This record gives sequence, C-alpha cells and structure tokens, in this order.
Amino acid sequence: MNLSGQRRYGTDEVVDVVVVGTGAGGAPLLAELAAAGLKVVALEAGPNFDPAAYGFDETLADEIYWTEERLSGGSTPEAFGANNSGTGVGGSTLHWGAFVPRADPRDFRLNTESGEGCDWPIDHAELVPFYDRVEAFIGTSGPTPYPWDEARRFPLPPVLRNGPAQLMASACDRLGIAATDAPAAVVSRDFTVDPSVPERKACINCGFCHQGCRTRAKASMDVTYLPLAVARGAEIRSDARMHGVERDKAGRITAVIYRSGGRDHRQLCAHLILCAGAVETPRLLLHLDLATGSGQVGRNYIGHVATQVWGTFADEVGMNRGYPSSLITEDFTRPKGADFAGGYLVQSLGVEPLTWANSVARGRGLWGRALTDYLKQYNRVAGIGINGETLPCDANVLTLSDETDALGMRKAQIDFGYGSNEDALNRHATKLMREIWEAAGAQDVWVLERVAHTLGTCRMGRNPDASVVDAVGRSHEVENLWICDGSVFPSSLAANPALTIMALSLRTAGAFLKGNR
Amino acid sequence: MIDQPVLFCLHYLGGSARTWRPLAERLGPHARCVGIDLPGFGDEAHKPGGDVAAMADHVAARITAEAPPGPWLIAGNSMGAKVALVLARRHEDGDPALAGLAGLVLLAGSPPAPEPMAEERRQAMIAWIDADPETRQREAEGFVSGNVGAPLDPEDHACAVEDVLRANPDAWKAWLAGGANEDWRERIGVLSIPALVVSGAEDGDLGPESQAALTLPHLARQRHEVAPGAGHLLPLERPEMLAALILAMLTAPPRAAQAPTLPPAFAALMSSDRVNTRLRSTLRERMREPDGPFCLGTDERATLAACLDRVLPQTGPGRIDLARRIDARLAGGTGDGWRFVALPPDPKAYARALRSLDGAAREAHGRPFTALGGAEQDALLDRATSGDLPEVAGGLDPDLMTCWFEELRGEAVRTFLAHPAGLAAIGFTGIGAGGDEADALPGYRLTYLNEREAWEAPVLEAAGDAR
Repeated sequence: MNLSGQRRYGTDEVVDVVVVGTGAGGAPLLAELAAAGLKVVALEAGPNFDPAAYGFDETLADEIYWTEERLSGGSTPEAFGANNSGTGVGGSTLHWGAFVPRADPRDFRLNTESGEGCDWPIDHAELVPFYDRVEAFIGTSGPTPYPWDEARRFPLPPVLRNGPAQLMASACDRLGIAATDAPAAVVSRDFTVDPSVPERKACINCGFCHQGCRTRAKASMDVTYLPLAVARGAEIRSDARMHGVERDKAGRITAVIYRSGGRDHRQLCAHLILCAGAVETPRLLLHLDLATGSGQVGRNYIGHVATQVWGTFADEVGMNRGYPSSLITEDFTRPKGADFAGGYLVQSLGVEPLTWANSVARGRGLWGRALTDYLKQYNRVAGIGINGETLPCDANVLTLSDETDALGMRKAQIDFGYGSNEDALNRHATKLMREIWEAAGAQDVWVLERVAHTLGTCRMGRNPDASVVDAVGRSHEVENLWICDGSVFPSSLAANPALTIMALSLRTAGAFLKGNR
Repeated sequence: MIDQPVLFCLHYLGGSARTWRPLAERLGPHARCVGIDLPGFGDEAHKPGGDVAAMADHVAARITAEAPPGPWLIAGNSMGAKVALVLARRHEDGDPALAGLAGLVLLAGSPPAPEPMAEERRQAMIAWIDADPETRQREAEGFVSGNVGAPLDPEDHACAVEDVLRANPDAWKAWLAGGANEDWRERIGVLSIPALVVSGAEDGDLGPESQAALTLPHLARQRHEVAPGAGHLLPLERPEMLAALILAMLTAPPRAAQAPTLPPAFAALMSSDRVNTRLRSTLRERMREPDGPFCLGTDERATLAACLDRVLPQTGPGRIDLARRIDARLAGGTGDGWRFVALPPDPKAYARALRSLDGAAREAHGRPFTALGGAEQDALLDRATSGDLPEVAGGLDPDLMTCWFEELRGEAVRTFLAHPAGLAAIGFTGIGAGGDEADALPGYRLTYLNEREAWEAPVLEAAGDAR
C-alpha cells in the first residue's frame, strides 16, 4: 500500500499507542484511534506489498505467509504457514479467504446452553453494531435477505458462483438443506466507501484469494482500514519486528523495542496494543514475561475443526475459477439430535493446485501411480468443508520451545488435539458432507482431516485468575497493555473468525478511547 | 568423452562468424570454434541468402573443406540452430560428409516448427531493413538491445549492430518470410544425437517454454539449461556459462531426454500476455535445475532420488529432478512455517530418514535402497508408512518415519507443481488469469461447470481427459 505521504513520529516522541500487527485485530483500531486524534504507530513484522505485483502463483505467495518455523504437537497437530498465518502490512488478511459469516448468538453462551466450553464475557447483541460498521466499510457481498439472519444486509450482491458451489447447491436442494451464496468480503461491484480509501474494482474471479488479491477486490486491511488510518495520521512501519519492551517501576510499559534494518529501535509510548495473532502475541508475552501472573497466557489454544470431503465429478469443474467458497449453509449451527455442543458451517471449496495436491499427498496418503493419476483429475474434483466449534481444553497449549529463531527468541510450540466434543462434531459433519457429495454425484469420495485458524491463548474474561484480558481487551495485570486479535477468543465460535476480530477491534478502540480520555 | 573437437558455429539472423569470438576465447584449447558466415551475412553478405536447406548445403560444404580430423559438433544460435537440426538429420540419414558429427549445441534455437513470432513484428523487420540509413541504424540498435536481457559490452554491441547493417537485405527477408516459417517437424523427427539446449530466461519468443515445447520433443538425448537474466543472443551474453556447459557436455554427453517437455498449448499460454511478467520469469527459472548449495551426502541424495521415483513417478520423456530441488531447499533453510515437534529440523530429518530406508534395504535384501527393484522399494515405503521399519543406527525412529514420509509426499507434489510441466500435466489454466496491467486483469469470465473460455481450451485439450 502507499505509505509515502504518511505522518512520521520520532522514536523519542512518546506516542499514545504502539500497535503491533496490522491484520484484522490491529488495523481497524489503528484507524479508530488515529481518527480520534491520537498519535499512533503500528509495527508490522513483514514487508509492505504492492498488490499489483502478486504473481498468481502459490509458491510466490510464500512471501505473504509467516514461514518462520513453529513446532506442532498434540494428537491432531495443526499446520501453520500457508494454512493460517500471514505476514506483511495487512497481516493474515493478505491471504485470508474473506469468508465472513457472523458468529451465531448462541455460540457466545455455549456453557450456559450446554454446560460445555465457556461463555464469552460479551453478548452477541453488543457486537451487532460493530459488525454492521465493519461490513459497510470493507464491502461485503452476499444474499439479502440472508436465510439465517433476517437483520443482516449486504452492501453488495453475491459474487459469482463457481463449479463446487453449483454442485453443493443442487445436492442441498435435493436433500432439503437450505444453502445460498456465501457472505464474502470481496466486492462484487466497483466499490468506494471513503475519499481516503482508493476505489476497489469488482472481483475478476481469478480464484487466487489465498495468494494475495492483485485487484484489491478482496478486503484485506491494506486496501481498507490501513489507508484510512494513514489518512487520519497513523504511521505504519513495515519490516519492524517487535521483540522487547521497557517498563517503569510500576510495571507500566514505557517503550517498545523492535528490530528493523538489522538493528534495534526503541519507540517511546504511553500504551501498547498487541495484535500479532494467537501465536505471536502469546509468544511475545511469554518471551517478555508480561501479563503471565495468572498462568493463562498460552493456555486454551483453539483451532477450528475444518474437515473437508472431496470427490470426482463427471462434470468439468475447474475449481480454481471464481471465489473459492461461494456457497454456504448455516443449517448445522445446532444440528437436531446432535451428541455434541455447538455446531458448524458448511461451505463449498475450490482450491488452487499446490494446496490441493499437498492435501492429497499428505492427507489422503496417496503415492506412486495412484498419486500421479489422481493429480490429473484436478479439473474434475470439488470439495466441501466445514468450520466447526472447538472447545477450550487444558491439553491444548502454546509454550516456548528450547529452539530459538534468528532473533534469539524461542520458537512457539503448539500442542493441539481434539476432545470428545470435536470428535463427535467431526463424525456428524463428515457423515453429512459425504451425503451431500454423494447426492451431488461425486465418485471416489475421501475425507481430509484438517484444523484451521489460530485462536485462544490470551482469552478475555471477567475473572483475572482465569483470563488474560478483560471483556474489552485490556490486560488484567499490566495497566497500559491491551490485546486485540484471535488470541482473546474464549471459545472458537463456529464462524470463521476474521470478521468477528474486526468487530472486536472497533469495540476495543471505543473502550480504549472511553477509558483514556 | 569427446576429445578436443571442432565446434562449427552458426549465427543468429543478422549475426556473423565473429558472434562466436567470446565463446571461442573461453573454450580455449578444449574445443576449437569455427564460426561460419551463413549466406547473406558477415563476409558472405554478397550472397542473397536462401532457404534452410540451402543454408545447410553451404555449411556442409564448409565443413567438408575444413576436414576436421576428429569428431565435431555444431552450435547454432536462433536461425543457426534450425540449420544445425537439418544437418543432424542428414547425419543420421547417413550422409558420409557429415559422419563425424558428435553433438549439437542449440542456443535459443529456432525450432523445426514455424517460429512463433508476431506477424506485426515480422512485417516491421521486413520493412525497415530496406529503409533509409538513419532508420536502419536506429532499428538495428533496437534489434540488438531488444534481444538481450541486459545491455552488452559496448564493443560487442557495436559489432552486433554493424553485422546487422552489413547483412544482405535479401537474406534477412528470406529468413523472415521463408526459412523461419518452414515446417521441418516431420523431416527432423526425433534425433538421437546428444544435444545441449540453452535458453534465455528473458528471451521473447524462443525462451525456455518454447524450447521445451518445440525443440526438446525432437531430441532423444538432451539436456536443457536456462540462462537466468539472458535474452536471445546467448553467445554474446553468456560465453562463460556456455563454455562450461559445452565442456560438461563433451565430458558426459546426455544419454537420455533429461528435461521435461511442455505441451505447445501450455507454452503458448505461458508466453502470452495473459501471464504476468513476474510469473513468467519465475516459471522459466523453475525450469532450471538449481546449482546448489546442497546439504545431503551423495548416498542420501541417491536414496532420495530413488524414493521420489516411487512416490511421484514421472513417465517422461524428460523429468524434473525433484531430489536435487528438495536438497537445495533443505540447504537454503527455507520452510513452510511449521514441522512436527517430534521430528528434528528438516535437513537432519531427511538425512536420518534416508539412512533408515537404506539401512532397512540392506538388512532385508543385502543391497542399498537404490539397487532394489520397484516392488521391493515400494514394500519398504509401505513399511515406513505404517511405522514398522527396523531401527537403524543414525536413522530415524520407526514411528517417526510415518511423519517424515508424509512430509516427503507433500514436498514432492509441491515441487512438481511449481514446475510448468507439472501444471501443464494437470491442465491448470490459472496462470492465465492476468498479465501486467493491474487495472485491466481479465481473470475468468466463466466460472460455472462445463464452461471453458476460448483461451483455456487448448491447454485443457492437451491435458487429455482433465476437464
């Protein structure tokens, strides 16, 4: 993005806030705080990209993924890198799928409802105005009315369906399942929302959402909230990797230390807001021994159950064309007669070839002639997948390994495994997806076990002994430290997280301004 | 080993015998370069030029006159390469005058098929060669600088421009309107003579994908090298690299088709303006086997290569050296952002796992893994998958072999599909989603089942049943 004319702050100037991370958690609040007249500096570990230069290639897209090594353990080890972790100005929204269901109201009170998991310290109704604001600003496309949420209004009509969406739509129709165009943060028409944010042209259906959107149709932060933040006076420093803080006697943070251009810099600040995601935020806190008094940092790491079912069709599918997940059903957010708490969403899937082949080779376990023959079916396969509730659990935890990275910081080790609730949900969803795909005419059906997203580790809550931040994201222990990203989620919610993170970001900004004025 | 041969060198359109001086200097005593002016060019500019067969006659006569004492080779750059291919066909058909031909060096060669070239550009080149002196000078300058990846040394540039200007306009036009369009595909067929093919990663019409689609299928024993950053005038741009490659070829001539070919339809899409420049350059560079550094030992690399032949068999002709690429990735230290905590870091995990496989082979069969038959290798890999290979000193724990083998399968397919030949094999058209004009990218207009856009159809048809 264009940072050439942005305001600059001196490192010796005590800025009001340093924000670490420019993704879904950091960007909206950066814009809010700047608009309120605060002096704000964002530190982004990754580079500043020009979207026009993305290459339409999965290997070239490594540049937008966080590829520093993390260690995965537990009974269902999670993949990182291209699976869920981004870098660069815009953070993980550079590669996100832009699939934007709102969280189901019941998911915030899961413990009250089922006795499982935990309740959020906030209510869905509190988030609705923030959802509305985010969607109007980033430009969401989808069907109005939306079958599972009468109040939801999309600013733009749905994006074009692709082959997998057509197959899923006809099968759901046959099975009596409601399914419709996906809620997508991709503009289906040319879109202008604010004079300080350049116009975004309508989606061209290239299918490379996860490799960086060349046309800026997809709502990554570098084409939405960050230009707004810069226009309101924020400064964004790219290639600036935070790794330290200075604190006064009272424990308040007085400066942030970051590495840039091969040397350390020290930015004085009155407040720090960490928005580095559910792996790097707790890793920094553990590394710096910040807010660790309750022993909660790193605990309750959560992913989503993200199992996929694949099949081969008589039709030419060409699944790399179009918005990848252009159909949704929310009929299973509380499946009738389910033996588990919570629920899941189902989406159609088109996947680019390396990602798909990697799943085939690793997940399906094919090799030899069977593998080469199956790869040649690329243009005839299609998938469906879920995003399912995952409960917090003591065994799922992020810790620091004894191995260190280039900066000398210990690498993150993430242990993750399904509990009985996830296993039951997964069985239910897998059976359903098989039924849908068989109804769609799929042959050679197989199941890919997969975990998505990075959540939890710094959860929000009212009880300082059982959480890291309060209900608005302020640390229970360090007075001028705030957190806003997926790490504050107490439970996963069934919805894909980024839209909710953005809504939380606006809400945290409001609370910050209210409390610090 | 071909000892101290003569290398007869045939220049590009508008070049001359002296185009080869930089290469001759670098080959020194190992191979003697004899540059030949083709009819209408260089010191033969008084001749009107002719078709490809006539050029071949001219060269054959020169070779006969030269009477090389031992085996000899022909190098051809662009236009000269097409003449070289014709001579190689005559050699294989038993022409006694050409009996000593021992190898071909084809540099950004014009292929047996009509040369891919925009008609507009062809007509412009035909027109300016007869224009006024000022225009000719300007266009000749533009022709030379437009055919190189980076500016030539000023002296070489001046020589090249002078050569263009002294060329006989009739010979120039004879090639553009005639020779370049001649279709020799049937007549050339598949040659068995060893051939080194070199292409420039920044070449316009005859870059790596064109060579892989249009030249390699005619060569049963070839090695294809891509010169990064180079354009079309390789003897002037990369004499050092060419000298090293030619010496390597003299030492060990290719015994089989080494580089994978590309379906012409995929090569045409890759060359088209639907593909952005960054992607095209990247795909071209990926057609080159990496130079290293590497980190696996010789035995480990050999075991890895044998293992990958079972994991992802490539039917050929030509193959991607997956083991070499993976070894380079391991040495480079880049990764995909995570690993199983139970496994050691990648280079160590690979080295240990390969030792386990090889040790298990020796234990079960008394032979190294590389010496086993395919079925025996598969049986060991099956045991690796289920975690019941024996413990091997310095190897990987049997139960961790399951994790490593999963990593290996993933890495094999990712490496394969990063190569254009891999994408072509599965009929992937996504590279054509848009070129360099970021504000006017075409993307896909059609996304429904069973819909094809016109530009996709040839790639899809070439991939067979796929779509």
